[in-house]
Order: sequence, then structure tokens, then C-alpha cells
Amino acid sequence: MDGDINKATSNSLHPAVWGIGFTLGMAAIGYLEIYAGIGRLGAILLMIPVMAMLIPMVRAVQQRAALMGCASPALVDYNRRFMIWTFGYMAALTIAITMHQKMMLSDPILWFAGLLPGLPVFGMIWTMVRYMREEKDEYLRLRAANAGLIGTALLLALATPWGFLEMFGAVPDVPAWAAFPIWAIGMGIGQMLQNRKS
Amino acid sequence: MKNRLKVLRAERDWSQQDLAEALGVSRQSVNAIETGKYDPSLPLAFRISDVFAMPIEAIFLRD
Repeated sequence: MDGDINKATSNSLHPAVWGIGFTLGMAAIGYLEIYAGIGRLGAILLMIPVMAMLIPMVRAVQQRAALMGCASPALVDYNRRFMIWTFGYMAALTIAITMHQKMMLSDPILWFAGLLPGLPVFGMIWTMVRYMREEKDEYLRLRAANAGLIGTALLLALATPWGFLEMFGAVPDVPAWAAFPIWAIGMGIGQMLQNRKS
Repeated sequence: MKNRLKVLRAERDWSQQDLAEALGVSRQSVNAIETGKYDPSLPLAFRISDVFAMPIEAIFLRD
């Protein structure tokens, strides 16, 4: 039995494959928006299939977690809730961008459209808070906290020099909403690094 | 911190999964404790002590 945990294999693709696909897809969209002029609406439309990759990724994560003996009921709930909020985010983003492109929005509605995609993100953050509260396994909780710290480190390490480079006109402007996906990618990297160690 | 978890488990012919279920934690947690990658909190150490019916200091050893 000893060491079984390290020999666990799955027939489905490794979650990292989906994670890398997602990261490359998002990076490509960012590049196309900045340098190829596809516009925000084009970027949003391209984001839909890229974000759809999160479904098989979450399934692969759950399968692997079960094989590695680290699937807890709280983790299953977390994945389900996070997926719901992700689709809510996609829907809210599409609605907000469409409203902005097609309608001449005045102040209150402009604010509504601007804040709409942020609401599901609050849901995602709340989902993470609930997971940390509901996870009864202290080791899994520690791993989640470590992954969050790695995500924070990645975000700060990228955002700070980028901000100065942007101030000096060396790099283009990156919208502030990119902070959350970058942080989430860092968290995913953090989980993978911890899997490699265990 | 060193521990005798693996030996105690083997003496009882328990798998990591058996111990994990007895403790109410994941198998990965048992593996991490057993291999010294993670030191359990005091409440979990007491649960481990209860499961093996042994005092904590007979399971966990100072480095």
C-alpha cells in the first residue's frame, strides 16, 4: 500500500494538460487583443471555448484527486461551485460587453454593465472562503493555503514590474480584471508543484 | 518530526486508506504524515493517539 499514492494513474488527460491549454489560450487572446486588434468583443468570444476547457480540467482534477487519495467532500463541493460561478462569469461578461458595444449606456446602466462581470468573481472568492471553512482535512487545507500564496506571489511578481514598465511606456496597458485569472493560474501552478513534492 | 506511524500501521495490517478512514482525513494526509512531510496539529495527533491506543510520545519522536 505504501507509495500507492505516488503510483496513481488515470486514463483521462492530466489536469496540467488542460491547465496549460487554458493558460496558452488566455495568453494568445491577450496577444491578439493587444497586437492584432481583435477588440474586446472578439476577445470575449474567443474566451468562451478557452474557458470551456475548465470543464474537462475540473473533471480531470477530481479523478486525479480520487486516485491520489486527496478527494474530500469539501473539494468536490468547491469544484462544483467554482464551475457554476465560472459559467456565471462567462454569461455576465458576454452580457456586459454586448451592452457596452450595442447600446449607448448612460451613467447608472454603464456602472451596472461594468460591475456585472465582477459579481460572479465575488462568488468565486466566496467559494474559496467556504472551502477553507468546510475542508475538515487540515493537510488539504494547508495545501490550498500554500497554493493561494503561490498565486499571490505570481500575481505580485508580474504586476509590479509590469506596472512600472507600463508607466515608462515600454509595455501596453493590461486591464485590471486580468489579476484574478493570473492569480488563479498561479494557484493551479502551486497545486501542481505540491503534487510533485508529495 | 519522526514518527512510527508506518510501523504501527503495518503491525495492525492496516492500509493508509484504513488509517485515513479511521482518522477522518484523506489518504494523502496519512502519506504526508508518515513520510515526515507534514507534522499534524495537536488535535489530529491526539486522534492518531486514540486510534492506536498509545500516548502521543510513543508515536511521534523528537528529531
